[in-house]
Amino acid sequence: MFMANCPNCGAAISFRSVDLPVRVCDYCHSSITRTGDALVSMGKVAEVPEDVSPLQIGVRGSDGGHSFELIGRVRWRWTDGGWNEWLALFDNGATGWIGEAMGRYMLLREVPATGSAVERGLRNGAQIIVGTEATIDGVQYRVTDVKEATCAGSEGELPFNTPPGFSMPSVDLMAADGHCASIQMDGGEVKLYAGRYVTLADMKANGLRAFEGWPMPRFAA
Amino acid sequence: MTAATSSVKALNCTSCGGTLSLRAAGYTVSMVCEHCGVTLDTTDPQLRVIAQATAALRRPLIPLGTRGVLRGETWEVVGYLERSDGEDGWSEYLLFNPYRGYGWLVDDGRRFNYGFLLDSLPDMDGAQIVIDQGRGLDHDSGPYPVEVKFVVGEFYWRVAVGERVQVTDYVRPGTTVSCEENDSERTWSKLDLLEWGEAERAFGVEPRRPNSGTPSPAEPSPWRDRLMESWIIGAIAAVTLLIIAAMSSGTQRLASVDAQVGLEGAPRTVVIHGIQIAGHSSAIRISAQSDQLDNDWIDLDYSLVDKRTQESFDAYGLAEHYSGSDSDGSWSEGDTRPKTRLSSVPPGTYDLVVELSAHRWVQNASTSFFGAQTGMVDPNPTLVPVTINVDRGGMFAGNVILGLILILIWPGFVLWRHLAFEQRRRGSSDDDDDDDDDWDD
Repeated sequence: MFMANCPNCGAAISFRSVDLPVRVCDYCHSSITRTGDALVSMGKVAEVPEDVSPLQIGVRGSDGGHSFELIGRVRWRWTDGGWNEWLALFDNGATGWIGEAMGRYMLLREVPATGSAVERGLRNGAQIIVGTEATIDGVQYRVTDVKEATCAGSEGELPFNTPPGFSMPSVDLMAADGHCASIQMDGGEVKLYAGRYVTLADMKANGLRAFEGWPMPRFAA
Repeated sequence: MTAATSSVKALNCTSCGGTLSLRAAGYTVSMVCEHCGVTLDTTDPQLRVIAQATAALRRPLIPLGTRGVLRGETWEVVGYLERSDGEDGWSEYLLFNPYRGYGWLVDDGRRFNYGFLLDSLPDMDGAQIVIDQGRGLDHDSGPYPVEVKFVVGEFYWRVAVGERVQVTDYVRPGTTVSCEENDSERTWSKLDLLEWGEAERAFGVEPRRPNSGTPSPAEPSPWRDRLMESWIIGAIAAVTLLIIAAMSSGTQRLASVDAQVGLEGAPRTVVIHGIQIAGHSSAIRISAQSDQLDNDWIDLDYSLVDKRTQESFDAYGLAEHYSGSDSDGSWSEGDTRPKTRLSSVPPGTYDLVVELSAHRWVQNASTSFFGAQTGMVDPNPTLVPVTINVDRGGMFAGNVILGLILILIWPGFVLWRHLAFEQRRRGSSDDDDDDDDDWDD
């Protein structure tokens, strides 16, 4: 853990990961980028609107024998709704994303580009059709969802800056055995994330938010 | 751990000012005001009205905000939809739990179903689809259009009356898997049929009773299990009955006599003395055999007389054979080997007294010289041989058949109910093929 002070408001800020370049100040919501030891405020970013997600920064869990902690979050919005992407820092230093939409969780890790038609189409700005097939990491996927996502807020540590109005095309894919994937355009670069649907119980999530009147699930108690 | 926060956020309807409870903030995209029916955009801090009320407000059977524990999971009712395929309508409750996400409670007016979105695409296996490596599901109906007719509460998408999707259903007993499609999304969901009363108990509504309404295509026949059971038991009973019948049908020859009787001659009496029926009461079969009859008949009057009590069991037999030809060609009829049964004769020693009288049959009485018509007796009649056998045992086929019918009543009833149910069940699916059949009818 690396401690510093927000160059904008002076509040103490912590970096759990040594690799991530962006930290959103918990107090003034400035986006602070780090290059070496230099911290630069990139201006304020939107605060994540209040929601009833059981996840929060600091939630711990595990996947594939590695424990993780949630250290960042981006809230995305599209014309007909929104979703959260939580950044998980694993005990081996790797990162992954937990996509949270419609009360479901996708645990995804970035994978190398495969050159599929969906990726090419996304790069060329072509329209991606629902039902298009794509093979990623040897798994056969089908596109289930295509949308333009706009950042609606962010917090914690992140691998990229999320200035107001930041938007990108996003494609969701599903496979027959619970595998899922997401392909996004990020700054002219196509990024592939692959993984699977999980439940909070699967991740042995703990440190979840408590809600009045709702029993904490047994696995998290 | 942070202190518990409220999962419910109070809002005021932009249109009518009524108080609303937002129960799934962050997930909910649109909300239909339960007071005035306008649709609000909950992703907009201003809570913009995105649609005016289009239908008269209706109250869901299970009110919004109702909590219930269904199959071990606590749920809150956050949204209510009524949808229709143009012919039939049904209700859908959107259930929410912050740790579990969303579930569905679907009410077809008769049964409740409990469902979730699928996390994995089904595998296609020929005409069937397979989920979770389980038993395959057969295509039942669709794609057919489904339209939202009424909506109230909050939803994780932009809900709207008139919203249309194309639905394809696959079924196996107890489970329906549906594919819903529009231009930008294709979702798969799985619905499990709940037991009678399960949903009603969970959400505190009046329990329903099994009735004769139209079952859903995935509803397993309540008679299916009983059908198997009743046929197995029925088959065991029938086989047992037939084995007993076969074992007890072995016959034992008690006596036999060859006799002759003169055609149109004087009646003859033949007596078989000392027939022993030992042990227990049994069936006695008296059979006559007279193969040389030709347009003749023999009346056989039997009396089986108990030598000790002089009690008599009387029976009658008729051996006959007729033939001839007419406009339809040649014909013949009659039984030359009549069998007569006495059902239950007590043990003892018996004499069988047989009175035989043989007659010629003539089509025209005027050509007959001797015969019953004239009352005259031929003093030198043609002799016809007759063999009379007395056998013990044998089952009465009638009794066996009656027994089988009795055994089959229950399995037959169950089969009938099962088939009637299946017909109603199949009648409720809207397969295009079925429609064609209906038109052909």
